[in-house]
Amino acid sequence: MSARNRLYAALIFLGPALLAVILLRIWPAFDAVHQSLLAPRATRYGFENYIFILTDPVFQNSLWTTLIYSLIVNPLQIAIALALALLMNVAVRLIRFWRTLILLPVAIPQSVSAVIWGVALRPDGPVNAMLVAIGLEEQRFLTSPDQALASVILIVSWIGVGYWMMFLLAGLQDIPKSLYEAVRIDGANRLQQFWYVTLPQLRRPLTFVLVANTVANFLVFAPVQILTQGGPQGSTNLIMNEIYTLAFVAGDPASAAAATVILVSVVLLVVIVQFRMMSAPEDRQR
Amino acid sequence: MTMAERRSRRGGTSGKVAALLTATLIAGPALAQETTVNFLGANSLDWYAPVIEAFEAAHPDITIAYQRVPFEDLNAAIEARIGQGDSSIDIFEADTPRVPALAWRGYLAPLESRRAEIEAAVPNPVDIEQVSHEGTLFAYPMWSSTQLLYYNRDLLDAAGVRAPAAAPAERLTWAELLEKARAAQEAGAEWGVLVQQVDRYYQLQPLFESSGAGPGLTGDGLLEPAVDTDAWIETARWYADLFEDGIAPRGIAPSQTDDLFINGQLAFMIGGPWVLGRYMSAEGLDFGVAPVPYFEGGEPVTPTGAWALGINPGAANKEAAKTFAEFVTLTAEGSYLSISQAPFPPTNAEARQRYIADMAQLASQIGPIHAVMEYELGNTAVGRPRTIGYVAFETIMNRTFSDIRNGADVAEMLEQTQNRLGRAMSRLR
Repeated sequence: MSARNRLYAALIFLGPALLAVILLRIWPAFDAVHQSLLAPRATRYGFENYIFILTDPVFQNSLWTTLIYSLIVNPLQIAIALALALLMNVAVRLIRFWRTLILLPVAIPQSVSAVIWGVALRPDGPVNAMLVAIGLEEQRFLTSPDQALASVILIVSWIGVGYWMMFLLAGLQDIPKSLYEAVRIDGANRLQQFWYVTLPQLRRPLTFVLVANTVANFLVFAPVQILTQGGPQGSTNLIMNEIYTLAFVAGDPASAAAATVILVSVVLLVVIVQFRMMSAPEDRQR
Repeated sequence: MTMAERRSRRGGTSGKVAALLTATLIAGPALAQETTVNFLGANSLDWYAPVIEAFEAAHPDITIAYQRVPFEDLNAAIEARIGQGDSSIDIFEADTPRVPALAWRGYLAPLESRRAEIEAAVPNPVDIEQVSHEGTLFAYPMWSSTQLLYYNRDLLDAAGVRAPAAAPAERLTWAELLEKARAAQEAGAEWGVLVQQVDRYYQLQPLFESSGAGPGLTGDGLLEPAVDTDAWIETARWYADLFEDGIAPRGIAPSQTDDLFINGQLAFMIGGPWVLGRYMSAEGLDFGVAPVPYFEGGEPVTPTGAWALGINPGAANKEAAKTFAEFVTLTAEGSYLSISQAPFPPTNAEARQRYIADMAQLASQIGPIHAVMEYELGNTAVGRPRTIGYVAFETIMNRTFSDIRNGADVAEMLEQTQNRLGRAMSRLR
C-alpha cells in the first residue's frame, strides 16, 4: 500500500470521529466565543458581555462558590477513593461483594440519586429521623445556606467515589509484587511501602483521576438544578447552574456564552497545572 | 411535500388526474396526511385528555402528542427548543403574563389573521389583552383564573371558630384570618394557613398589591424593579413571619401543599378553582369557600390570567396545530372539555356560562363559589405585569420567595433581588 493510499485509508477510518469532534466540540466552542463577543443587539465584537458578568455580584459569587466547592470536593473524593481502593485491594472475605457495593451508586443516574437524596435530606425526611433517633438535633440540610453546599458535596461524592476507586484499584493491581518484596528486604515499614512504592507507581492512574474528577466537578449540574437551583441564597450557585440561569431563565444567551468561555478557560488552566504537577521528574527533564 | 404531490410526480397521466382529484377533494395540504401535533406543556395530561380525545374523534387525521415538563422547566424547554428553531414542537402552553416576552423573542406566531374568530368566541377585551403584545394577537386565550379561600369546616368547628362569610362585603382582613388560624391550631390543627403555590409570584403578588406595595416593577415598559421599598420589605416580612411563627410549614414544595389540606392538617388554604376536583373527591374532607382576605386599609386584590395556547412560528404542522388550538379555545364544546378536569374559568363565553352554572350547583355543599368567583373576576382581579422582562422577573422572584419563606433575612434578600433584577432587565432595554 502506498503512502497516499495509507493516508486515504486512515482518513476513511478516522473520518466519522473527526467529523464528530468538529461538529460536536470545535464548532460549538467557536460559536460560544463568537456569541460571547456580541452584546445583545450589537453588530460589532466587543467585551461588553465579559465586563457585564465579571462585574455582576451574582456571577462573582458563583465563581467563588465553585472555587470553594472544587477545593473541598476534589481532594476529598480522591482521598476517599484512594482509601477505599487500598482497602479493596487486600484479600478479605467477600471482597467482590464489597467492591460491587461501593461501585453500585455509579450505576444510578445522577438525577435519580439527586431525587432520592432530596427526599432523604428533607426537613421531615429519614436522615433527620435517624439523627433524632440517636439523640442529635434535626438539621436543615438543603434549605440552609450554611449546609446546602456541604449536602451537595455529600451527594456528588456518594455518586463519584466508587467510580474513581475502580481506576485506582486497577492501578494498584498493576503494581508488581516484586517491588514490595524488594523494599521489605530493605526494611521498609507499611507507611514507607505506601510512600515509596504505591504512590509513585500509582502516578498515572492518579493523574487521570485527578484531572477527570476536577473537570467532572466543575461541570456538576443535575444535582444542583434538581435539589436547590442554586439556592438557598446563592449558596449552591455553582457556575454551570449560573450559566443555565443566564441562558434559559434570564434569557441572556450572550452572557451565558461569555460565562461558558470563562469556565472552559478556568478548567483548561487548572488541568494544565495539574498535568505539570503530576509529571515525574524524569519526564520533565526530557 | 404532501402525499398528493408525491403521488403526482410518481404516476403517469392517469396518476396525475387521480392526484388532481385527490388534491381538490382534500381541504388543506397539511391535513391530507396523518399528522402528529406535538404539544408542550407543564400541566397534567389528565387535564387535556378529554379535549384531546374529542378532538381526535372529530379529526381522525390529526394526533395530539402531549409532552409534559415540570412547571419550573417550561421556560427553559421553550428557550432551548423553540428558541433554537426546533420545528418538532407545534403548540405550547403560554402563561398569559409571559406572552409579551415570548412574542418579543419571536417564539409565538402572530394570530392577527384569526382575530375576528377569536374575538367572536372570546368577547371580553381583558382576555384578548392578556394574549396580545403591542396590539398584536399572539396566542389563543384559553383559561382565566382567580383565587379563593378554602377552609376546613371540621377544624374550625373543633376550635369554635365561626367560618368566614362568602359575601365579598364581609371579606376578612389578614389579621382576622390569622386570628382564626391560630385558634384552629390551638384546637389541634397542625397548620393554620398556607398559600397553595407557596413561592410563586402569581399567588403572592396580591399580597403586595393589597398592602399598597405594588407589583414590584415600574418605569418605561415595566423594566425597572422596585422590590426593595419599605412597603415591599414590610409585606415580605409579614409573609416570612407566617413560616417563622409556625402558622405555615417550611421546606414544602407547591406540589405537596394540597395534600396538607386534603389530609385535614391545614385549616385555611388559598388556592385556585382547579383544586376543586381533588378537594371534592377527598374522603372525609368537609370544606367551604370564601373570598381571599385583604390587608386592612388596602384594597382586596386577587390574581388572574392563566394558560393560553401559543403556536411555534417554526412549527412543522402549524395549520394542524391551529386547528387543535381553535377547537380547544374557540368552540364551546372544546373549551368546556378543557376545564372538565381542572376547573379554570374558560375564556370562551359560551363555555363560561356552562361553567358558572356548574359551579352554582356546588353552592349547597361548599358555599356560593360561583358568586365569589364572578365577583372577584369582575372587581378585584389584577393581572401580572405585562412586560418583555416578565419571564426573568417571575423566575427570580420565585427563587427569592423560596429563600424568604425558608428563613433568609428579608431586607437583605430583597436588596439582592433588586440588584439582580436591575441587571437582568438592563440586558433587555
